[in-house]
Amino acid sequence: MNEFVEQCRREWKRLGVSDPLADEMAADLASDLSEAEAEGVSTEELLGTSAFDPPSFAATWAAERGIIPEQRSPTNARRRPLVLVAFTTLAAIVVIISATLLATGEPRLSLARTTPPPGAGRTVISTSAAAPIEWILLFVAIAALGFSAWLWSTRGRSHPPTAPAQ
Amino acid sequence: MLRGVLDLCLLAVIDEGPAYGYEMTKRLRERGLEFVGEGSIYPLLGRLERDGLVETYRAASKGGPQRKYYRPSSAGRIALALGVSEWRAGRDAVDAVLAPVKVEVAT
Repeated sequence: MNEFVEQCRREWKRLGVSDPLADEMAADLASDLSEAEAEGVSTEELLGTSAFDPPSFAATWAAERGIIPEQRSPTNARRRPLVLVAFTTLAAIVVIISATLLATGEPRLSLARTTPPPGAGRTVISTSAAAPIEWILLFVAIAALGFSAWLWSTRGRSHPPTAPAQ
Repeated sequence: MLRGVLDLCLLAVIDEGPAYGYEMTKRLRERGLEFVGEGSIYPLLGRLERDGLVETYRAASKGGPQRKYYRPSSAGRIALALGVSEWRAGRDAVDAVLAPVKVEVAT
């Protein structure tokens, strides 16, 4: 089996195409390429520009055939970045707000609320030290940012290629 | 429009007789149609198969390995008939638009 077919095989495996279907497509493609070569027809002549991008060719073929499992389908792959963007943005906003509140010493989400001594005339808002919610939010949001960074890096390594138009 | 026409061409060549992938390419080439570009016939065949417009079976090619042969299903034959009709109507309309054009590239 030539290198082009091997690369297609790897892409189908990555996309979750079942082994019997991937075997069938690889065998058919290998037979066609072999026959074409015997007749003096190059891979480029047979496959056009797809010959230079085996993963894209393989992904397009599998997608058109409808044999990519649902969770790996391009539709879900397109939706995932929107969720990630929203999650990252929310985490960043929480980090900024909680850090600002802590830095200015004006927490507004305190669990502790001290009662002023009689005659003091006003409620004393707790200080940062007495307001753990901001710290909790800050740490949780930083952890969320780290998690989203990991998701982005994972996606960057493995997201499926866009299927080219015919 | 072109995408649909390519599907139509594939259905037409396998309507002449069942064929495997490369065999279809040869039949198209014999008529001067080459699939050079980003795509190839394989994704198109995949879509036709998914849409139930072709039936497939495996058989040995002439002195060669087992190949996957394609032929139009009954739905495929209907799609071919409708597609040819639409293509001819569209072609005539385009011809009518382009007919008055006098300019041609010198060869």
